Amino acid sequence: MKQIFIAVCAALLVAGCSSKGTTTQGKAAIEQRSVADQNQQATADEAAKQARIQQEQEQLKQQVEEQKRRQEEEARKTAAAEAEKPVVKPLADTSMTGKALTDPASMLKDPASPLSKRSIYYDFDAYNIKEEFQHLVEAHGKFLLEHKDLKVRIEGNCDERGSREYNLALGQRRADSVKKAMTLLGVTPKQIQTVSFGAEKPKAPGHDEEAWAENRRSDIVYIGIDTQH
Amino acid sequence: MKSTLSPDRWRCTRNQNGWLWCIPAGLLLCLFAATARAQLTIEIIGGGADQIPITVLPLADEDNFQQRISQIVSADLARSGRFRLQEIGSVRPLPSEPSEVNYRYWKNRGSQTLVIGRVIQRPDGKVEVRFRMLDTAKEAQAVGYAYTIVMPQMRAIAHKISDIIYEKLTGEPGVFSTRIAYVARFPQRFELHVADADGVNSQFILAHNEPIISPAWSPDGTRIAYVSFEQRRSIIFVHNLVDGTRRVLAAYEGINSAPAWTPDGKRLAIALSKDGVSQIYMIDADGNGLTRLTNSNAIDTEPSFAPDGKYILFTSDRGGSPQIYRMSVSGNNIERMTFEGNYNVTPRYSPDGKSFAFIQRIQGRYSLALMDLTTRQTQILTDSPLDGSPAFAPNGRLILYASIVGGHGILAAVSSDGRIKQKITSSAQDVREPAWGPLAGNR
Repeated sequence: MKQIFIAVCAALLVAGCSSKGTTTQGKAAIEQRSVADQNQQATADEAAKQARIQQEQEQLKQQVEEQKRRQEEEARKTAAAEAEKPVVKPLADTSMTGKALTDPASMLKDPASPLSKRSIYYDFDAYNIKEEFQHLVEAHGKFLLEHKDLKVRIEGNCDERGSREYNLALGQRRADSVKKAMTLLGVTPKQIQTVSFGAEKPKAPGHDEEAWAENRRSDIVYIGIDTQH
Repeated sequence: MKSTLSPDRWRCTRNQNGWLWCIPAGLLLCLFAATARAQLTIEIIGGGADQIPITVLPLADEDNFQQRISQIVSADLARSGRFRLQEIGSVRPLPSEPSEVNYRYWKNRGSQTLVIGRVIQRPDGKVEVRFRMLDTAKEAQAVGYAYTIVMPQMRAIAHKISDIIYEKLTGEPGVFSTRIAYVARFPQRFELHVADADGVNSQFILAHNEPIISPAWSPDGTRIAYVSFEQRRSIIFVHNLVDGTRRVLAAYEGINSAPAWTPDGKRLAIALSKDGVSQIYMIDADGNGLTRLTNSNAIDTEPSFAPDGKYILFTSDRGGSPQIYRMSVSGNNIERMTFEGNYNVTPRYSPDGKSFAFIQRIQGRYSLALMDLTTRQTQILTDSPLDGSPAFAPNGRLILYASIVGGHGILAAVSSDGRIKQKITSSAQDVREPAWGPLAGNR
């Protein structure tokens, strides 16, 4: 009888330890079983305990594995995303740079390129290309050398001061000086037209030095790109 | 209507004054509104010394007509700056015939010269205009005419009377019957106008959304050469004012500019850059016979013929800055005329050939100047910041020029002695590029 009591106590202890918050239903079940077969009960309890531990371990393992899987998934996704980025970017870039390599219009409009700048500015009553604009003229000259199918019109302009007729002649000289600089680089003269608007088509409407400086200008106009004709 | 240049693209209209307008078919808009808003208003700023006193009485029955001749004559004489118009006083009735004139009364009022007359409506619809100019000291008629006209000629006959009075009293021809040409700029639109010398009856002969510059009257007043940018580059046209047709005079590669007629009206000097930099060429008025006149590697432009046709003044920067030079019509004997400052441009021979007007930059201002060809002395006539395009009246008394006031282009006139100044404004955004037509007798 004493052995039974000890076994019950041990079973209760194990049960209490192994399953926290065991309900009264659980106690009743144990008691019922303890009545049925003490030894068997103890063995069953031990097996259940082992099973539960195993199950818990299994769950834990699964959780760890799930976590690991998720992490891997995450990493894979990230890696995939990383892998995807260079795919996406170059595609976008390719579509741009791809054009830029073959389409002169895009190259001319690329703000990073000196080709996007088309105006050469002058001092009063002067038509020499100042040092700061020689790079620009050279860039366009080289571009025309590389694109023999392209044609430009150099439009010479003057500020409003002085004689209209003299300014018309001066505007022509300004345009012609740009043409000359380009042909010296080897550009075919047929690629370059020149025209003078003198003081007749001022870009800046004012009557001050700021407007005058803006209007003393040659513009490089790409025919068919900047203008239809 | 036939036109020598792409007739399908140009539309010509004859208005009530007999003027022909030719404009591109696509640009026929606001025709009448545009001409009305470009009328010129002339304001006299200065007055000359030694003004001749004159009393212009209302012509009898002139009130029955829309245009009052005595008012037009008075305005003409006052605008010249050479007359002092006197009050007509209170005596009534006003005389219209010499027999009705109390000479002592007018003498006592200080009137040396009295203008009287009458306007008569005739049964056939025509109008008879009678005028007499009387010398009150001599108590005699100095000059008198009777004209039979049709109603639309009323202003023209008033200007003719002004011319007769002017010539009788100054010994020089009057320019009241002459016409001027100028360019009016509106937003997105340029118009080449022809108007009476008093700014009235301004009508455009060409309208376009591209600039028009350098109008030049033929010596007989029937044609105007000008530079149009209508094909997005400078091209010289000759426009016939009688039939409204026009033709391309020069459309060479580069600039085509600065047309100037020879005094006989058969040829023009022009500036072309077809052989490099702008050079001066001669060309027949029909566009044939192009010959090169100057051979420099500098800008040569703005030719102006001496009235005797022997010399040409022009602008050149062959010396490093634009200066005025003179050459013979063969292109030889080139002589530099201006030395003061580093910007002397736009020479224009005076009608008597004794001087020339030009634009000189002095302390940042572009002023109208006059050089006496005998003494080589220069007189500065204006002091506004940006004057240009001088044009002599055909009697040499006034120089019309372009100026900028308050950011707007206006026309102004100054007497060749610098004493009388006129400001000519328009409701157009800008008016510029004046050219004074020849005397009526040349037509």
